[in-house]
Amino acid sequence: MKRRLPALVSLLAVCGVLAALPFLLGNYNVSLAARVGIYFIAVLGLNILTGYTGQISIGHGAFMAVGGYTTAVMSRDHHTSLILTMLLAFAICFVLGLLVGLPALRLSGVYLALATFAFAVSVPQLPLKWSKFLGGRDGVQTSRTVSHTWLYGAAWTASATLFVLAWLILRGRVGRAFRAVRDSEIAAVASGIELPVYKTLAFGISAAYAGVAGSLFVLATNGFAAPDEFGVVLSLQLLVGAAVAGLGSLWGVLAGAVFVGLLPTVSSSVPVIGSNHGRDVVFGAAVVLVMLLLPGGFAGLLARLRRFAGA
Amino acid sequence: MAVNRRKVGALVCALLATAAAASVAAASHTSTPGVSKNKIVIGGTFPLTGFASAYKTIPAAEAAYYAYVNAHGGVFHRKITDIILDDQYDPSQTVPQTTKLVEQNHVFAVVGSLGTAPILSTWNYLNKNKVPQVLVATGDAYWGNCVHHGCQGSTKPWTLGWQPDYPSEAKLYAHYILAHKASAKIGVLYQNDAYGKNYLAGLKTGLGSHAGQIVDAESYNFGDSAQVIAAHVVKLRAVGADTFVIFATPTATIQSLVARTLIGWSPLTFVNNVSANRVFELAAAKSGANLDGIISTGYVASQTLQPNLPGMKLAKQIIHTYQPALDQDFAAGDLNLVYGLASAWTFVDALKHAGKNLTRAGLMKALRHMNEPKNPFVYPGISIKTSAKRTFPMEQLVMTKWSGGASGDWHPFGKIVNVGH
Repeated sequence: MKRRLPALVSLLAVCGVLAALPFLLGNYNVSLAARVGIYFIAVLGLNILTGYTGQISIGHGAFMAVGGYTTAVMSRDHHTSLILTMLLAFAICFVLGLLVGLPALRLSGVYLALATFAFAVSVPQLPLKWSKFLGGRDGVQTSRTVSHTWLYGAAWTASATLFVLAWLILRGRVGRAFRAVRDSEIAAVASGIELPVYKTLAFGISAAYAGVAGSLFVLATNGFAAPDEFGVVLSLQLLVGAAVAGLGSLWGVLAGAVFVGLLPTVSSSVPVIGSNHGRDVVFGAAVVLVMLLLPGGFAGLLARLRRFAGA
Repeated sequence: MAVNRRKVGALVCALLATAAAASVAAASHTSTPGVSKNKIVIGGTFPLTGFASAYKTIPAAEAAYYAYVNAHGGVFHRKITDIILDDQYDPSQTVPQTTKLVEQNHVFAVVGSLGTAPILSTWNYLNKNKVPQVLVATGDAYWGNCVHHGCQGSTKPWTLGWQPDYPSEAKLYAHYILAHKASAKIGVLYQNDAYGKNYLAGLKTGLGSHAGQIVDAESYNFGDSAQVIAAHVVKLRAVGADTFVIFATPTATIQSLVARTLIGWSPLTFVNNVSANRVFELAAAKSGANLDGIISTGYVASQTLQPNLPGMKLAKQIIHTYQPALDQDFAAGDLNLVYGLASAWTFVDALKHAGKNLTRAGLMKALRHMNEPKNPFVYPGISIKTSAKRTFPMEQLVMTKWSGGASGDWHPFGKIVNVGH
């Protein structure tokens, strides 16, 4: 219990700050904070797959697209409650994740990364193919749009729920199996872990998280889902978020989410002399700096601080 | 343990301090947002970077025009501040950037934002908050049609277009074909989205009972490679088309014009206005395209063909003074610069008509009752008009034809045509 106390205190502190933020921030900043919450969910999901199970995915933007379109289409055609569409996005993406996880049984490392990359490239093309149902390039509009505060509440409630869920999954038998797969597949098999089950399961859980994030992402875009929103860059951003967070740690995820959720917006107002590319330059430089100074991401920093404090 | 608690405390304090500072910064605004005694703050989103960044000269020209107006005393002694934000043509970026303009920069109006999907992603939000979303840089028919008729759940009285709409433009090409080549076998290349489909629909409407003369309509997806585009062109030729209509965005247009020449095909060819910007055709000619005789339409004046118009002299001077880096682009005939100046001119004109006591409703009233026969940057004779019934500001076009080969230009011919709704 004594060992857990600091974690509990900081968890409560974070929750307290998050609950207080809407009352302190201006309306616009609440929308930014909601955006961080959305990235939090996606990065958290990716971390379960990449950080804990060692499977690289550059395709999570595609799962977000599926989740986002689920919400948009259900709301447009059936006026489904938005919360319900999030649960639906979770379920659909879980199944889809299991399916996409199948190639992961045969591929590893760079090859798996490429396969998921192909997924990220191809999924945004589907709305163009079935443009009657999925709106083509002109997108799908939900029947209802939400306020910044609603979005903030939904995003962070979902974040908290999914964070606890992740913690429960990872602390037990399943989490141990995930880590064993990451550390050595051969050793894992030798200890009786069924690789196919755990690899696809990790893909499923991770995709389900991305689906919820995608659902919220569309709501954050005024309920408008369009292919251009889910480009390859989104998938790369999530991977950057997971790396900044520090692979294999839940605590760094907040830092990773803030990094990818806020930096592009904030840095677009940083004037870089004679260039419209200020945002990309600043974002790129920040990524390089973080990787140089914090090779273990923010999670690594936290661990080092803890050691320092303990010494 | 103690260290940990202190650390957490410090973290919380830091977060709270940041939050408080941010909320104080956001809290100052007057009765009409963005308007003060000596300032009007407006903003817009544009693809300054990314694949559609060829359009970035439009906001540059608009900024130049506002700088020119400011240097000449502003509008009712108010100087215009134009905040240009990059959205990379991506709706998921348009939304936060537009939210930022409205809720953080407290702009008076969102002016000139570019692209159909970016506008569709923000028009519900802006109309709900009664923020003018005006002179949008896209020719889809939504902006005119949805003022009185519900679209995506509600009418959109706060959204206004500017340029002639795409279906009307396509109708003109249909009429030209019927008048000059009645037995034409028409092959169409169009972009697979509302943009391309609206054009195609307009062409069919214009052809009426002759729509069956379209022997093939090939669609491509935005971002397809030159090979894919070329394959479509080859197919159109193979099915026996002798008239080639291109409803594409600039890159694909250039590629299809080059492919057309490479396969030795010389049908009667039409290029839609969006791609009929001299700089794009010069690029096509550089890659070997033979352009003479291609037909299109125009609605802004041409700095290369009409350099002696007072408006074009002024345009040259404004660009030279306020965006000297774009002098060369202007000289090469980039019509997007003229487009930006003309659009900004309309906005300033509306500000003048909205009067001294500027409100958002007042601006919309002025924009919905425009009568601009002489915008100096628009093609002479084309006027911009709106009324309660007329929701498309520009309903006139002039037909143009390319001549002069690799260093040629779009030469207007015939009378100005009304394409009224």
